[in-house]
Amino acid sequence: MNRLGLLMAIAGALTAAPNDTFLLRGVTVHPVTGPKIENTSLLVQDGKIAEIGPKIVAPKGMKVIDAKGMHVWPGFIDSATDTGMNEISSVRETVDTGEVGTFNPQIRAAVAVNPSSEHFPVVRGNGTTSMVLMPGGAGGRGGPFGRLGGGDGPLIQGQASMIHTDGWTWEEMEVNRSVGMQVAFPDTPRIPGRFAAMLGMDRPQTTFADMDRQRLDRIKRLADFMTDARRYQKAKAAKEPGFRTDLKFEAMLPVLEGRTPLVMVANKQKNVREVIKFADEQKVKVVLAGTDDFGNTLPDLKAKNIPVILGPTYELPAEEDHAYDEPFTRPGEIFKSGVKFAFGSFGTQFARNLPYNAANAVAFGLPYDEAIKAITINPAEIWGVADKIGSIEKGKWADLIVTDREDPLEITTNVKHMFIRGQAVDLTSKHTRYYEKYLNRP
Amino acid sequence: MRIAILLAGIAAGLAAQTVVLQNGTIMTVTKGTFKGAIVIKDGKIVEVGDKVLVPTGAQVIDATGQYIIPGIIDCHSHIAVESINEGSVSVSAMVGVGDNINPEEIEIYRALAGGVTTANVLHGSANAIGGKNVVLKMRWGKDAEALRFEGAKPGIKFALGENPKRQGNPTQPGQRARYPATRMGVEDVIRDAFTEAKSYQASWKEYEERSKRGERALPPRRDLKLEALVEVLEGKRLVHAHCYRADEILMLIRTADEMGFKIKTFQHVLEGYKVAKEIAAHGAGGSTFSDWWAYKAEAYDAIPYNAAIMHKKGVLVSLNSDSAELMRRLNTEAGKVMKYGGLTENEALAMVTINPARQLEIDNRVGSIEAGKDADLVVYDKNPLSVYAKVQKVFIDGTKYFDRDTDISERNRKALEKKRLLDAEKARQDEQKKQGMPPARRTGE
Amino acid sequence: MRYLFALLLSGAMGLLAEPPSTIAIRNARIFPVSGPAIAKGTVLMRNGLIEAVGESVQIPAGAWIIEGESLTVYPGLIDALGTWGLPQQQNQQGQQGQAAAPAGLPPIPGLATPTVAPPSGPQDRPQTTSWQKAADLVSPGDRRIASARNMGYSTAAVFPNRGIFAGQGSMMQMAGEKVDSMVVAPNIGQYVAMRPAGFGRSFPDSLMGVIAYVKQIYLDAGHYSLAKKMYAENPRGMTRPAYDRALEGVLESPRLLLPANRAFEIDRYAKLGRELKQPTVLYGGVEAYKAAEMLKDTPILISIKWPERARDGDPEEEEDFRTLERREKAPSGPAALAKAGVRFAFYADGIERRSDWLRAVKRALEAGLTAEQALRALTLSPAEIFGVADRVGSVEKGKIANLVITKGDLFQDGAIQHVFIDGMKYDPAPEPPQGPPGGSPGGRRPGEGAEIEEVRK
Repeated sequence: MNRLGLLMAIAGALTAAPNDTFLLRGVTVHPVTGPKIENTSLLVQDGKIAEIGPKIVAPKGMKVIDAKGMHVWPGFIDSATDTGMNEISSVRETVDTGEVGTFNPQIRAAVAVNPSSEHFPVVRGNGTTSMVLMPGGAGGRGGPFGRLGGGDGPLIQGQASMIHTDGWTWEEMEVNRSVGMQVAFPDTPRIPGRFAAMLGMDRPQTTFADMDRQRLDRIKRLADFMTDARRYQKAKAAKEPGFRTDLKFEAMLPVLEGRTPLVMVANKQKNVREVIKFADEQKVKVVLAGTDDFGNTLPDLKAKNIPVILGPTYELPAEEDHAYDEPFTRPGEIFKSGVKFAFGSFGTQFARNLPYNAANAVAFGLPYDEAIKAITINPAEIWGVADKIGSIEKGKWADLIVTDREDPLEITTNVKHMFIRGQAVDLTSKHTRYYEKYLNRP
Repeated sequence: MRIAILLAGIAAGLAAQTVVLQNGTIMTVTKGTFKGAIVIKDGKIVEVGDKVLVPTGAQVIDATGQYIIPGIIDCHSHIAVESINEGSVSVSAMVGVGDNINPEEIEIYRALAGGVTTANVLHGSANAIGGKNVVLKMRWGKDAEALRFEGAKPGIKFALGENPKRQGNPTQPGQRARYPATRMGVEDVIRDAFTEAKSYQASWKEYEERSKRGERALPPRRDLKLEALVEVLEGKRLVHAHCYRADEILMLIRTADEMGFKIKTFQHVLEGYKVAKEIAAHGAGGSTFSDWWAYKAEAYDAIPYNAAIMHKKGVLVSLNSDSAELMRRLNTEAGKVMKYGGLTENEALAMVTINPARQLEIDNRVGSIEAGKDADLVVYDKNPLSVYAKVQKVFIDGTKYFDRDTDISERNRKALEKKRLLDAEKARQDEQKKQGMPPARRTGE
Repeated sequence: MRYLFALLLSGAMGLLAEPPSTIAIRNARIFPVSGPAIAKGTVLMRNGLIEAVGESVQIPAGAWIIEGESLTVYPGLIDALGTWGLPQQQNQQGQQGQAAAPAGLPPIPGLATPTVAPPSGPQDRPQTTSWQKAADLVSPGDRRIASARNMGYSTAAVFPNRGIFAGQGSMMQMAGEKVDSMVVAPNIGQYVAMRPAGFGRSFPDSLMGVIAYVKQIYLDAGHYSLAKKMYAENPRGMTRPAYDRALEGVLESPRLLLPANRAFEIDRYAKLGRELKQPTVLYGGVEAYKAAEMLKDTPILISIKWPERARDGDPEEEEDFRTLERREKAPSGPAALAKAGVRFAFYADGIERRSDWLRAVKRALEAGLTAEQALRALTLSPAEIFGVADRVGSVEKGKIANLVITKGDLFQDGAIQHVFIDGMKYDPAPEPPQGPPGGSPGGRRPGEGAEIEEVRK
């Protein structure tokens, strides 16, 4: 209280209280990392969570938000999206994911974020405060921008950045410019048989063995690039004469040093096994993303401590004879295996439905608390920012949402307030504005 | 004596076909929500109420704690057919998706598992006037003919905006441009087609008059394309028009007025909220997405409040999927209009049941839980508007087509049978290898 | 004149002396198919026809005699659908459009560039060469004809197979120096393939487009023949109907062949045939094992190239239950049809080696088909289906002298000793090495997976 008193003294000296210091009163706090605390207050100071307790008294002049009966949750984290880099997915000019070239470790997602994108207010409306932006795009598996590594496509697609969903500039939005290195992990190219058939030609005679060789060649190219980067690392450390800076290899140093994970986008169990092997051989940290067929790889992923970013659970089963609810039950299965996982929206237009993806998994077997964790504390840990976000704990950033009903994953629940680093965030969007406007069209 | 025995036999037979769903929360959509029972006989609902007399010998299904709603109707789907776009021409009214039904497509079963009992299966949107639709019931396991919603009024797809003009704007050098390339051209194609249809209609009329007068006359050549358009002019075929922007919606309303036909539904209609007044005045319905947006330029002004605004301005609104995946959870799509626009639970549910039934003119048969209607019912474990609700059972015409418990308990048996098939195939291949047969070519995938 | 020509030809080639006009095979086991088997009997052929068959046949003096103690005599086999003798790559251009590269795509090596605009509607008669007859296209020198004989085929229903209305089939003998002498019946049906052009550039671009086109063609044909009839009755005051060779070709075809592999395709196309009021024969039949009910009034040609897993495919590629089941059960289709009394016949569908053929037929036998039923599906049934059973398909007096003679059982490992065609003896050559299989008349199998990607929204 002393500290607070001091602060208030300072604040009093200013003409107005700072925006990132306030008291939320009459709320139930859901810290996620601990049990919920009912009918309490939450003090935010300098954008950080300072205190939680029923008896905090707001000093005179401090902003008090009376949110009686409401619920406070950590803001949600979307672990794979290209929101802000992809305004209208079918208009290439508005899309800044998917750079040309095989190896682009030096490019960074954050610098191409348009803070004025209409998408940010929309996702904020449903509770997302942070996102991991994928430079190779997150528009689904094998889509034009989120391409898997078949054919001559890209391999290293650039650095994934974690950003907040509000800010005047991308720099202000930045949580961490580089939380991972996105890799389109090589897959067997599909035999374009259907095209041949459409042309009235016989199917190509290329065998699977030929096609698969291409995949293995590309994995080797990836490994060779790592080797070259290591050679560069050594040369740099040894201050070899004639050493020259190379931006691509420079960008690989945090990966080689185990500070930044490779985000391996791989869909099938065959490729997951290769990813595990690759991580072992290269001794690098790995995050797996976009997999829709884990097969028997889950125990290995658990043993190797490889976390998984799950694609949207709103998907069709991979094969016609798979259980109709296979994608719905997958999160529950992964939880049971002990593999750490988080949800990503893998796109832009449905990014606001992130909480419903999590809820749907609950309906099909994932424990409720785990669903919440998979969009809060789990991603914070996976992306190395758990000291700042992902739960409501003293000292963490006040990235908070306040909801009118207890369950933030339920459709009919509304986000009434949002704070990012303690700053109140506008919850209106183009959608709410147009609603008002056209509802009132004479 | 003999007659009496016969009657008793018939009665027993009927009783065997009687099913009672009781103790569930019944969301009738048209007659309120209450705890009660539904009596089903010969595929029809014969009684609904908080207290019903259970006929002797009826099969009783307990639905305590569960929710029962009318079967969901998806007003825009492309499942269960082998091809959906005849994209080579600007007017493809001669084709019909009903000609290439695939009754074995697994998406039928998946839709069923998501509570859908009826789907409006439409032609794609590659052309200004597309092909004919087919309305299907998800009678999984039945043949193509038996999937058809018998007696459903036929329809046709129109498409405005980006999709029909795409082929007019080739993206590759040397590619042939197909008229139209602009929204102006789309309007022209429609006006031109109906002008041609009218003269076709007139030539038949003239032939019939000449024949009536006993004159020797060669009948006009039957033209499958123009026949479909004449049916539109005569009000025998419903128009379902894919559209996005307000301008094109208004354009089609005016073109239809000029040519003398009606638009039954605007599909997608993402900017319907901007011209809701005009849509309502024309008497058209709107069948839209809950929250799709920004996937293309013409969807950039899409807002999730679209359904609510149109509804509030007097448009008959349904929510559709246009996707085999989304089709499985139209119940929660309906839930979203409670969030975006504050509609009631009943208004929300109506958008995936009675409203699409009205749009397809099958509301005398389906869309609500009322005596006399088809027993197309979905049983959920929780309130179906919640994200946590799961379909437990689905009935069509009183027959149970989906049961989650059965589905789960069958999985093991199916897995074993699949393993047997794989092993048997392996044995066949090994045998062939022993005989020194060369490997089979990649064929037939 | 013709005799002279043949003589000159054979003389020039320095092959045979003039073949004997009367041949008897005696003391052989005979399966006439049209009647009970004869344990020990004689077949007498004269001038290309069967003159007598039975246990006690008087062999005229001067006849060539084949001692048949260890031999079995069957009717010459009939391939119910094939492309034997047809050029493997028919030139596809212009109106046929089929193999032309869609505009905007890189040119495909080996394919001609289209010289005319692609069809933009049914009126352009896309992929239609209904007037073409196999009899006019077969080249007697095609080496595949010898392959057919090596498998025991004396006769085949040869159909052009490129395009939607690909043309008319002809019942052809699998031997002859000139095509004229090979023809048993010149027009036995119209081959229709459900083959969209693809890529949205040319009508029809979809399966339903093809179906609509087929329907429109029959409406047009009906209108055309009405117009012609009225004009013939009284041309005065009436516009002369324009000659339309596409419709002529359709009208002169006695039956329609439609592709159907999956059960729902069998259902669909049997119904389409009834809707068009055309005698219809289906071909394909992979899922015939569950479609016997639908085939009460519609005969079906069953491909004996049973679906198989590609052994050079991805070993991890998961295949679904139904695909696996189809592969297991396809060979049981014929037995199911036989049991239900459905008329069916076999076609080799690209199989060109006796060993492959034998393996294929054995799978049907293992799945419950009797040897008698199999033999019928390879002889009399195709003859009946195509309306030529008065000429070929059984060992009967007065029919064409087409026989297969084996040492041992045709369906076991009996070696084919001779094939008689029009009374001429042919001995099988050693089996050719395995090459890529020849063109199959079925083309790609409809229903074996969606081939065309569509823009959905």
